[in-house]
Amino acid sequence: MAKKVGIVGAAVTPFRGKWYQKTYYELAQMATREAVADTAISIKDVDAVFYGIYNDIFERACIPEHPLQGILGMQNKFGIRISNGGATGAYTLSAAHAYLAGERFKTALVLGVEKATDCFDFTSMSATPEVIKTIAWSGDTFFEQKIGWSASDSYAEVVLGYMDEYPGTLKPEVTAQISALLSQQVRGNPYAQRQFDQVTPEEVMNSRYIVYPFKELEICVYSEGAAALILAEEETAKVIAKNSGKPIIWITGVGEANEHSFAGKNQKNMSHIVSDYLGAHRAYEMAGIKDPVKAIQIVELHDAFIQQLEISMAEFGLVPYQTVDSLIEDGLILPGGKYLVNPCGGLTYCGHAVGASNIMSVWSARNELIKRKLKTALIHGTGSTVAQYTVCATLEHE
Amino acid sequence: MSEKRRKIIPDEFIPEIRSRVITLENQDYLLQNDAMFTFYERSIGELSPFFLAIKNERKILGCKCSKCGMVRVPPMMTHCPDCEFAPTKPVEVGQIGRMNTTPPITYFATSLFLDKAPFGRGRVILKGADTALSVMLYTTTGILVPGLIKKGTEVKVIFRDERVGQISDIYCVPTSELTPQQVAKEGLQESELNWAAPKEPQFSKPTDKDMANYKQCLKEMLALAIKMSQSKRARKAIEGWKRNIAVKTKASEFAMYIDNGDFRIEDKKLASPDFVMACEDPKTLLDGLMYKGAITDSVIMKKLWISKNLEFNTIFKLDRLARFLVMEQKEKTAK
Repeated sequence: MAKKVGIVGAAVTPFRGKWYQKTYYELAQMATREAVADTAISIKDVDAVFYGIYNDIFERACIPEHPLQGILGMQNKFGIRISNGGATGAYTLSAAHAYLAGERFKTALVLGVEKATDCFDFTSMSATPEVIKTIAWSGDTFFEQKIGWSASDSYAEVVLGYMDEYPGTLKPEVTAQISALLSQQVRGNPYAQRQFDQVTPEEVMNSRYIVYPFKELEICVYSEGAAALILAEEETAKVIAKNSGKPIIWITGVGEANEHSFAGKNQKNMSHIVSDYLGAHRAYEMAGIKDPVKAIQIVELHDAFIQQLEISMAEFGLVPYQTVDSLIEDGLILPGGKYLVNPCGGLTYCGHAVGASNIMSVWSARNELIKRKLKTALIHGTGSTVAQYTVCATLEHE
Repeated sequence: MSEKRRKIIPDEFIPEIRSRVITLENQDYLLQNDAMFTFYERSIGELSPFFLAIKNERKILGCKCSKCGMVRVPPMMTHCPDCEFAPTKPVEVGQIGRMNTTPPITYFATSLFLDKAPFGRGRVILKGADTALSVMLYTTTGILVPGLIKKGTEVKVIFRDERVGQISDIYCVPTSELTPQQVAKEGLQESELNWAAPKEPQFSKPTDKDMANYKQCLKEMLALAIKMSQSKRARKAIEGWKRNIAVKTKASEFAMYIDNGDFRIEDKKLASPDFVMACEDPKTLLDGLMYKGAITDSVIMKKLWISKNLEFNTIFKLDRLARFLVMEQKEKTAK
């Protein structure tokens, strides 16, 4: 029988478009310092560290985690890096959970950090084309990198595939309202990159196309920052919680799936995010959730793109595929609605510091479960080409 | 369409060895120009027949499973993963196919593809294949716009004239833009296509109303340009960028200058601009600069013409300039 694992501490650094003042060394230590303080333990009490760092090129180093081991006060202890595209943070949580549930360790630090926007394109004199180029090195190396593959166009393929199968869904006025909603929710997140960037649905509709069908204000923004969690197995968690006075948020279910990266017969179905469906339903099964519509109250969803947020909600079984726009049209995610989705502003407004993003989502869900006295949250990470990777986790506040 | 770059890393991408200091809250921070680079003599291994067939024979190969008969294109394996790794063998497939799903169109590309945008990339199931090949998509009629290529659209593989044995040696265009002879021909090359040349739009003689509209729009743009040049955030959107642009409208023409943070408009004709913008109604551009609709979208929707596609880059900066000014004003209010 696997051990129960709980979250006993969490912290994030501010997410910024560019952290001129700090290297990723300092960002990693900042988040760790704060997480340890939040847990009211010593770093010496932490048995192992799990690093979520997506892209070597962002940090300008292969094995970018090696300098962090000593800087974090974790020398001579277990340390492992997880790198799974956009889903890096969620996969890092998944890995740490497995080690603790398997009784290898009693406590673990889950640390995500990314310094993305040091990349710079000297021809256009701006960072973004080089940042997205760096991510584009993640595309298939023989068949896609050389024909302009990018993270945006690969997710757009899936979104357009969904729209082919379910015509009339993902209406632009609905996605615009979702973006505007997230921009309101982010006001309560002082760590967000775009805390004061409130937009109207009209502004979203009027923003420029980046990659059709995505408009500029329907896409997550690249960030620099770090996020950290302290996890502990059941007995240790209870001792820590008694000492810190903070409730334990239990990780009750974890589910993962990686799809085929090419489309066609027996391969990727481009009209769905099957990995989202499998990841969520595997997490529900582990958590004993029979009816997610009844059980799930908060969703911290990896909104790389607003249209994909809608599809993911459908794949999670929280809204029907054909009527996915009811998220807005029936008020399911509007204030007072059935689901609280991305109270932190999501990756669109809080920011996407890739390896740290899903860990930030866990930090946010934990805060909201405690603050709002709610019971169950769903965490989601997506990544790689054509939304190939997914990790979902269910969190419960006793 | 031709691939002009002949070096693995084009010279224009390589910055000088340099550093600069940025001061934030009275503290100096150092920024250094830097790069990671690694060269390869890359093994193409079992994929060699596929790329050699494209390069030398203008053919597309797939691999067929000896057990289930499934034909995969691209032929990514020598053994079928669905049949306990039964061996596959190479087969030739057709050069016409249908789009598996509606393809996205990239307008804002990575730094490596800035000069190729806008382009589509999608997946085509070629005749005789069961899986989809990822391809770049173009139209011979000008700028690729949404709706032109959709799920099920029939497209044909076009081979570039100069091929080096990589996937960018081919791309697809809709067969509806080809003659029956071109559709029927195997190994059709890009030089055999009729590409629409960019043609500057001609406007009819302006009326008094057009002239009055021009004067009003220009007045508003001049005022906006002053605000933009005074905005710290807006200046950042065009930092390090320099362009002299001739803007032609039905009523008259004016000059727009971008100069490393400065944004200026003058009511004069430019003799040798970096590029030309043309729009019948100057309000199209004014709305964009006022953040009431994207200038990028005006180009896509053919309300605004630009003489060089590569200058999409400048268009993005103008859109960003407008957004950053609005953002700065909002942030001031919110705080």
